Amino acid sequence: MLVSYNWLQDFLDLDVDPKDLAEKITRTGVEIASVDHPQEGLKKLVVGHVLDCDGVEGTHLHLTHVDVGEDEPLQIVCGAPNVAAGEDVIVALHGARIAGNEKIKKGKIRGMESYGMICGLQEIGFADSVVPEKYADGIFVFPEDADVKPGDDVYHALGMDDYILDFDITPNRADTLSMEGSAYEVGAIVDQKPKIEDVVLKEDGPDWTSELNAEVDEKLAPKYYLRKVSGVKISESPLWMQRRLWNAGIRPINNVVDVTNYVMLLTGQPMHAYDARTFKDGKLVVRKAEKGEKLTLLNDKEVELDPNDIIITDGKEPVMMAGVMGGKNSEVEDDTTDVILESAVFDGTLVRKAALRHANRTEASSRFEKGINWDNTQKALDMAALLLRNDANGTINEGEIKATDAQRKPAVVKTTISYINKVLGTELSNDEMVKIFDRLNFETEVDGDDLTVTVPNRRWDIAIPADLVEEVGRIYGYDNLKSTQPLVAETHGGYSEAETKMRRLKKIVEGQGMMEAISYSLTSPEKAVRYTMDPKATVQVQMPLNSSRSTMRENLMTGLVDAASYNMARKQNQLAFFEQGRVYDHDGGTFNEHEHLATLYAGNTFEDNWQHQTQKIDFYFVKGQLEDLFEAVGIDESKIEYKAAEIDGMHPTRTAAIYLDKEYIGMIGMIAHAVTMADKALRGSELYGYELDLDKLDAHIQKGMTAKPAPKFPAIERDLSILVNKDDSNRDVENVIRANAGKYLVNLKVIDVYAGSHIEPGKKSLAYNLTFLNEKDTLTDEVVNKAMDKVMAALKDDLNAKIR
Amino acid sequence: MDLFDKLKELRQQGLDEIKKASDEKKLNEVRVELVGRKGELTKILHSMKEIAPEDRREVGQKVNELRDLFNTQLNEAKDSILAALVAKKMEEERIDVTLPGRKAHLGSKHPIYVILDDLEAYFIGMGYKVVQGPEIETDHYCFEMMNLPKDHPARDMQATFYIDDEDLLRTQTSGDQARVLEKHDFSKGPLKMVGPGKVYRRDDDDATHSHQFMQMEGLVVDKHVTMSDLKGTLEMIAKHMFGQDRKTRLRPSYFPFTEPSVEMDVSCFNCDGKGCPICKYTGWIEVLGAGMVHPNVLENAGIDSNVYGGFAFGLGLDRFAILKYGIDDIRDFYTNDVRFLEQFRKEED
Repeated sequence: MLVSYNWLQDFLDLDVDPKDLAEKITRTGVEIASVDHPQEGLKKLVVGHVLDCDGVEGTHLHLTHVDVGEDEPLQIVCGAPNVAAGEDVIVALHGARIAGNEKIKKGKIRGMESYGMICGLQEIGFADSVVPEKYADGIFVFPEDADVKPGDDVYHALGMDDYILDFDITPNRADTLSMEGSAYEVGAIVDQKPKIEDVVLKEDGPDWTSELNAEVDEKLAPKYYLRKVSGVKISESPLWMQRRLWNAGIRPINNVVDVTNYVMLLTGQPMHAYDARTFKDGKLVVRKAEKGEKLTLLNDKEVELDPNDIIITDGKEPVMMAGVMGGKNSEVEDDTTDVILESAVFDGTLVRKAALRHANRTEASSRFEKGINWDNTQKALDMAALLLRNDANGTINEGEIKATDAQRKPAVVKTTISYINKVLGTELSNDEMVKIFDRLNFETEVDGDDLTVTVPNRRWDIAIPADLVEEVGRIYGYDNLKSTQPLVAETHGGYSEAETKMRRLKKIVEGQGMMEAISYSLTSPEKAVRYTMDPKATVQVQMPLNSSRSTMRENLMTGLVDAASYNMARKQNQLAFFEQGRVYDHDGGTFNEHEHLATLYAGNTFEDNWQHQTQKIDFYFVKGQLEDLFEAVGIDESKIEYKAAEIDGMHPTRTAAIYLDKEYIGMIGMIAHAVTMADKALRGSELYGYELDLDKLDAHIQKGMTAKPAPKFPAIERDLSILVNKDDSNRDVENVIRANAGKYLVNLKVIDVYAGSHIEPGKKSLAYNLTFLNEKDTLTDEVVNKAMDKVMAALKDDLNAKIR
Repeated sequence: MDLFDKLKELRQQGLDEIKKASDEKKLNEVRVELVGRKGELTKILHSMKEIAPEDRREVGQKVNELRDLFNTQLNEAKDSILAALVAKKMEEERIDVTLPGRKAHLGSKHPIYVILDDLEAYFIGMGYKVVQGPEIETDHYCFEMMNLPKDHPARDMQATFYIDDEDLLRTQTSGDQARVLEKHDFSKGPLKMVGPGKVYRRDDDDATHSHQFMQMEGLVVDKHVTMSDLKGTLEMIAKHMFGQDRKTRLRPSYFPFTEPSVEMDVSCFNCDGKGCPICKYTGWIEVLGAGMVHPNVLENAGIDSNVYGGFAFGLGLDRFAILKYGIDDIRDFYTNDVRFLEQFRKEED
């Protein structure tokens, strides 16, 4: 709501700088998003009286002489189509500043001297959306009632000397969506009682109430009042009303429509004016629309009505979408003489949904949806009638139709002074508190500590004691609250055990030189289950923003591959990403979330360097990083098994499923060529990574430990070189060695793998280094020799290995 | 030639040869020749029997003196040859220390986690537990329990990704409050928690909107928690995060789950409150929302709101990072451009 500082003066005596007032309101009530002073930056704009005006042959120009209050009239060349002798207009003198900080200078146009410029409203800073249609494509002409004379500054007459406070309200403070509501709020803040006047109305026409039979569903419109004003003469509104409208961001239309808008701004009660001819059959019905019904709105939008839209009909056809916008077929037009005024309370939720459904939010609908003051229905109706008599020469017919008239009782909230103090942490006395409510114009009753507050209907946001706490707190001033720390019993802060473990993993991976990424949880249906060993039912959102963000990921890898693509498209090829986050599925009919950790590498182990000493990232580098990670969190290497596996999106012969204690915990490998070939940025690059299910890893991560002394006895190392079938995996060999090497084997390392031309076809050579250690005694060669003999024998027997 | 003359001659000849020996090998030959088992001095000793007995003592003495001299000279010569060798080797080994080193990967934390870790550490130090809730949340916990019944206008403020009628991607971490409140046993002490995590809104991504971002929720509930405590706590967070010299202000606001509700602004760090484009010429920058827990939220969780009360706050981690690091596009957090992310290696946390 754009609130005029000058208009506020109707209700209050304000003598503060509008900017200071705005800051005060912001801290106490409603955020003031901006304070606009329309004349700011403008200079030398005066009223001019056009003395004569002649068309210049062969052009669209006019040569005018304009009285600007000086001895001699000014000659001004003007291109506007609506310039004419006898008009009072806006003149930018030589040296003037108009909108956009543009400077006006005297000059020659087509050889004719021009000593200034006659302006349209847009040229002096008005928004297109508020300029009356009549002046949209030309200059502004002051109406007769403007009370201006040549040479006057234009700012006052046009309302540009005002300050406009933009009330950026929260949904609970719709009470300030009116001048009266704002005046109550500002009055409470500056400690003044606003002067809110009642309407005194004299009906001067015949009774009309038998002319119309109004049938209204009380559930849809608990209050529904109508009045009739006859014999109106449609014209422009008086300037004072127009400037209040445009300063509030509303375009003046004509003296009937403007009155309804003006009354809405004043009271917060949306109004509607129908051409009385609409109801010539004597029938008005407020009901829900039926399927298939259509209505063309005032903005020429034709809408197909929904069965949840409230509409007003003439008994047959819809003529208005209730609370949202009138229909073209009931519009007040230039030849309208009789007007039916409507002041009603419509169901806010239905209005909100209708406005949303038809993408047609209006000043009216936004007020209904947030709630309006039930006590202003009558006042608004009477005020509109009064103004129509004053501005449009209307006759107010006797009587009103009150088709529905539900009453809302003011809320009575009981609490205690001590409760309010306790919640705020204040020590306000009874008197201080009562004084605050008095500033808000709330009635109070105090009985000892007990406090009863009667809240006027204009503040329908207040219903419970906590709401009163807020009122006291803000009017007392949050600036005046002490700053304290909660005085509560000591608590032990910290992370959950699972999170502590995850943080440990993250720290290690970061220490390995990985860069942390965060990617989107929503991805495409295909990517959601790519890189996933055993895809589950996916989680899909309704109405996704687009198909590539429709499905919750079941893996983190897809986000990292996206990141790789983004970076490689920008020639960033040295990548080492990790992400820790959740994956989501709908397995077994429940929504499940699992914590995962994934890494993705591309490029070299070292950055390119002048020594050319680096290695391409490969499977074994990444596996080494993973093994280090497992070791660092105390996961027993021997319980881990890597099995070649085929996973969608992963290279089918360079990927392993990882098992811990026979349970699948993740995978490691190279991103499939099918993926990298399909992406221009990734084409030709090799990406390796792993992904782990941390929920499954959790139980295996070591927590706490007991230290052992460093070994006191020396270890004995032996190397062993064997020839095995090419198909035998390292794991097959290691299993045989571990099973037969006895309890003193403490470490087993592969030291060479060779399968080339120097050995027989179908075979490969493997070499191992075995470390034996007895922690309690010196180990003898004899014991180790025996163990090695057993190992070698078993290798021969089980794998048909040749010892080299 | 008598023996003494011979010794004299040997002395001169030996010293010359030592001096001449240019490398270790030649020096060794000289050593063998002079003091070796078959060397000149040994030969002289072996010829003692040919010497008059009265001279033997003196000859023996001279021979020993000469051997000592030779040994000393030989060792010195050896040392200097070695020293020269080492010096030469070191010269050959000279490197250009100004050439760059080999760089491996250097890890970095994501800026949002830099902020989050910092805040978590701060709150843990003040006795808050860090709590995590589900991102796929029910309408019940995300809205109903938080005093946002169906048809509540405030639901329009939050475009929600629904999965079905009841399940949705949480639009706020506030659901964690409801879950924790339901479970907390107040006989074991007050409730102090922070709940960080990802949230989702049906917004098209642009410089200031992201359909996914991160929030942190805070909640303190006990018998005597006041709005002054909230003010004190928020001021501490703001100063911790944005600098001790920041000014703060509380503004009345509206959230369905708190009453009273406030938003906190800090004085603009760019212009120090004078007004600039960053603070939209207001001098203030909004940093978080907060308030006293709405009685309905407590009652919904089965807590007697006449006895217990407290405060809650919620802050956007993305927003904090944007403000703290002067980032102008929220999408930078989620595209994972290494040239953006690598800057945060330098950031302490």
